[in-house]
Amino acid sequence: MCGIVGYIGDGHAVPILIDSLRMLEYRGYDSAGVTVFNGSLETYKIAGRIKELENIIPENTKGSIGIGHTRWATHGKPETKNAHPHISSGISVVHNGIIENYLELKERLTDLGYEFQSDTDTEVIAHLLHFNMNGNSNNSLLDGLAETVKELKGSYAIAALYDKEPGIMAFARKDSPLVVGLGNGSNYTASDVTALLKHTKKVIFINDDEIGLVKPETVEIYDLEGHTISRDPETIEWTLEAAEKAGYEHFMLKEIHEQPTSIQDTFAGKLSELEGTVTLKELYLKPEEIKRLRRATIIACGTSWNAGILGKYLFEKLAGIHTDVETASEFRYSNPVLCGEELTIAITQSGETADTLAAVRSSSSYGCRSIAITNVVGSTITRESDSVLYTRAGPEIGVAATKTFTAQLIALYMLAINLGRARGVISANEAKDLIVGIKRLPGQIQKILNRKEAIKECAIQFAESRDYFFIGRYLNFPVALEGALKLKEISYIHAEGYAAGELKHGPLALITEETPVVAIATKGHTYEKILSNIKEVKARDATVIAVADDDDTEIEKYVDVVLRVPSSHELLSPVLSSVVLQLLSYYTALAKGCSIDKPRNLAKSVTVE
Amino acid sequence: MKAIILAAGEGKRCRPLTLTRSKVMLPVANKPILEHIINSLVKNGIKEIILVVGYKKERIMDYFEDGINFGVKIEYVEQKAQIGTAHAILQARKMIGQDDEKFIVVNGDNIIGPQAIFDLINGAEGDATLLTCKKENVSGYGVIVAKGKNVTEIIEKPKTLVSHLINTGIYLFRKEIFEMIENTSISTAGEYAITDTLQLMINNGMDLTTAVTNAEWIDAAYSWNLLEANTIVLGDFENNINKGKVEDGTIIKGSVSIGKNTTIRAGSYIVGPVVIGDNCDIGPGVVILPSTSIGNNVSIASFSHIKNSILMNDVRINTHSNISSSIIGSNVSTGPNFIAEEGEDMLIRIENELHVAGKLGTVIGDDSEVGGNVLVRAGNLVSSNCHINSGKTISEEVPTNAIII
Repeated sequence: MCGIVGYIGDGHAVPILIDSLRMLEYRGYDSAGVTVFNGSLETYKIAGRIKELENIIPENTKGSIGIGHTRWATHGKPETKNAHPHISSGISVVHNGIIENYLELKERLTDLGYEFQSDTDTEVIAHLLHFNMNGNSNNSLLDGLAETVKELKGSYAIAALYDKEPGIMAFARKDSPLVVGLGNGSNYTASDVTALLKHTKKVIFINDDEIGLVKPETVEIYDLEGHTISRDPETIEWTLEAAEKAGYEHFMLKEIHEQPTSIQDTFAGKLSELEGTVTLKELYLKPEEIKRLRRATIIACGTSWNAGILGKYLFEKLAGIHTDVETASEFRYSNPVLCGEELTIAITQSGETADTLAAVRSSSSYGCRSIAITNVVGSTITRESDSVLYTRAGPEIGVAATKTFTAQLIALYMLAINLGRARGVISANEAKDLIVGIKRLPGQIQKILNRKEAIKECAIQFAESRDYFFIGRYLNFPVALEGALKLKEISYIHAEGYAAGELKHGPLALITEETPVVAIATKGHTYEKILSNIKEVKARDATVIAVADDDDTEIEKYVDVVLRVPSSHELLSPVLSSVVLQLLSYYTALAKGCSIDKPRNLAKSVTVE
Repeated sequence: MKAIILAAGEGKRCRPLTLTRSKVMLPVANKPILEHIINSLVKNGIKEIILVVGYKKERIMDYFEDGINFGVKIEYVEQKAQIGTAHAILQARKMIGQDDEKFIVVNGDNIIGPQAIFDLINGAEGDATLLTCKKENVSGYGVIVAKGKNVTEIIEKPKTLVSHLINTGIYLFRKEIFEMIENTSISTAGEYAITDTLQLMINNGMDLTTAVTNAEWIDAAYSWNLLEANTIVLGDFENNINKGKVEDGTIIKGSVSIGKNTTIRAGSYIVGPVVIGDNCDIGPGVVILPSTSIGNNVSIASFSHIKNSILMNDVRINTHSNISSSIIGSNVSTGPNFIAEEGEDMLIRIENELHVAGKLGTVIGDDSEVGGNVLVRAGNLVSSNCHINSGKTISEEVPTNAIII
């Protein structure tokens, strides 16, 4: 997984490319490179961050056409030779995706005399393109690219330059995101819109199996048969400042602090407490269809999967729908048994998660109705699903998901209440209580933020621990999973999230006095149960940190540290507990001096399998 | 020209409202005081702003971000310890560039009109210029003594009447000020005050001038003074934008602005000037009378009566409540039949000093939960994160985190 950018216009290409790449660093950041046309193609690349790339590009490098790349290694180690762009005499290519038949193509091209410099799959695109333009015919860049992509198997978003056709940039896409940005006398390409926001808000989303040319004044899009495709540009409503840090040291902390707003934006205009209704017109689901539903399958990866576990409990309790939660990468290869009267709910922040997209495609092929919960307008999943429920969290730059996770939870609450009311499982009065509870969340999260110092102190106290356990029951089980995931992601402390009742079936053996155990112990019908689990681990001398309600005066008798959340509706406390655990992870990573916004080995949106 | 806005202090006199945010973020007509200042700077073409932040800085950064939504470019600099205005200004030194010959310094916690900035820029002469305004009662303010335009002395809170010109805390400086600040010694109060720097400049024979303004300059010294500020700002306000949904049978008179996704339910009666934020649910049958500001995501249930008050974000008011001349902090919820009684000529005791509050109901800090049938007698302040059980009558001050059973 990687990010690509391109620029063609009348300005200096290098600073624009570097700026855009910086916005894409969340997609991967182990190596980076650019090619600019400066009389001839000049390429600079390095194994390292964008900052290091900037240092090796000579100052005043001219040229108003260029392409760039930030890499997250899939084929070949993060070394300079494997960084993009890849070159084949006079041709420069950047690529995001995976070419599955690259070994076969590499063999063929080697036999034809091409010399490979790198271990990447991408280099075959450069040489194949060269061959298709020069080898047996005299094709233009566009024709050459059309022939090339027909021979590729796998996924790709490609941008290419050719020194004999200096006024154009060619692109192609299949199963990897690509947008073209329209400026004034300048045009852009990028893996996603955040890279373009500084320059333009007018974009065209490129679809699978489309190729085309970008010139300073025009953009041409074709299908693989060479037919012209015309598509109107869309206007992106995100503002650039929303993608910058605004005084914060890290995006993650800024994004944690944005949650009162992002949650409110997600539910705005959808809740009516007087009527006890959640209006979700965007689902286009008829009441009869909702009543007929027999099962739901939630498909997601990572943090979104944790949100999905909570979704399962909500759909079962509030809507009476049997629900399974599947890891997208497993679901695809596990012979799922599906039928028509089922709902597939895909949760993906970026809308580009390759495994989730593939899983939705496969469930659609069984005639299941699909709903996507995503944060990115116009992303691939929005085109692959029958309907879309947007989280309105705005761009999230920190690799560790925070505000998009809680916004996903809000979307799931709203969906469960909506389905539950339509199916007659919950009354208007029960729905009203939940709706009032949801509307109180922004203020309650602000209250958590107002007193985050206590969480910071706790984080510092245990920052040197080797292991951490997170335990919770029922609705607090996904909170434990997410708490553990956050901590491992950014602080590199080994952490496990467990259903608290499962501890005695094995993991209890790992608990020592050196192991902090975070118990999510908010009030609810499993409260007594988690208290006995806390006693179990206390008996093994573990240090217990409890996340508990403001008005719980009992808990401090049993635990070492209490982190408080405002008392709320039982079903809604996971949102508040999650914010507390996000802050715990953040301050732990900060105390350890970790690279918080860009943890090692991770990338924000995983567009490869 | 750049402007440095000093926004690092808490504004302790505005407690309990400043326990959870600094004074610059207190809302007047649904906008933080700081936003009113930024708007006045923008109207004078000043769009590069350096915010010196400290106390609860995240609240400021969360709201203003990089300033694009406010038509400015904001850079933040942190003053880690609040040890005086001169020290605060010095923090911004690295953001004043080679080409910035002159720059403006503004206190972030007073509302100023655009004319005030205009008068400062137009009247600026010499090495430094102070903006002053004439006030009849100058007690509690810093005043200046001037000969024509030339300032001869700066006196903090004089005991006797020496001048009617009060220092607004708005200055136009040249870069040399930073050196003078470095030479300023610490005051007996343990602070590096910019007024001491200015006195030092006078003593060194430098040319300090004053520009006088008659423009709006509102200082909300204590929390309840926000109500007066709110009345003044709403009074200037001619705005009938309705982005929400108003059900049939609602009467709206005067200048009333209603935010996105807000519903005003049937039978409500609203007399402006009133501003209502986004995502609110109001009514049915709610009466809202003049000089009231209601924040975002606020619910006011049926048959409640709100007058001359400020309700901040995320407030929930239950049915049959009566709130007059009061300020209700963020995320406060009240039970049914809550009454904030209003009194005239109130005297409020803060740290054993009595202060005149005029007409006042109550001030309730953020996150407090108030039960049903609670009466707060006029002039009794409730702090933040308090819990008051149903049926209580509050006739004394309620401290932070108190539980009244």
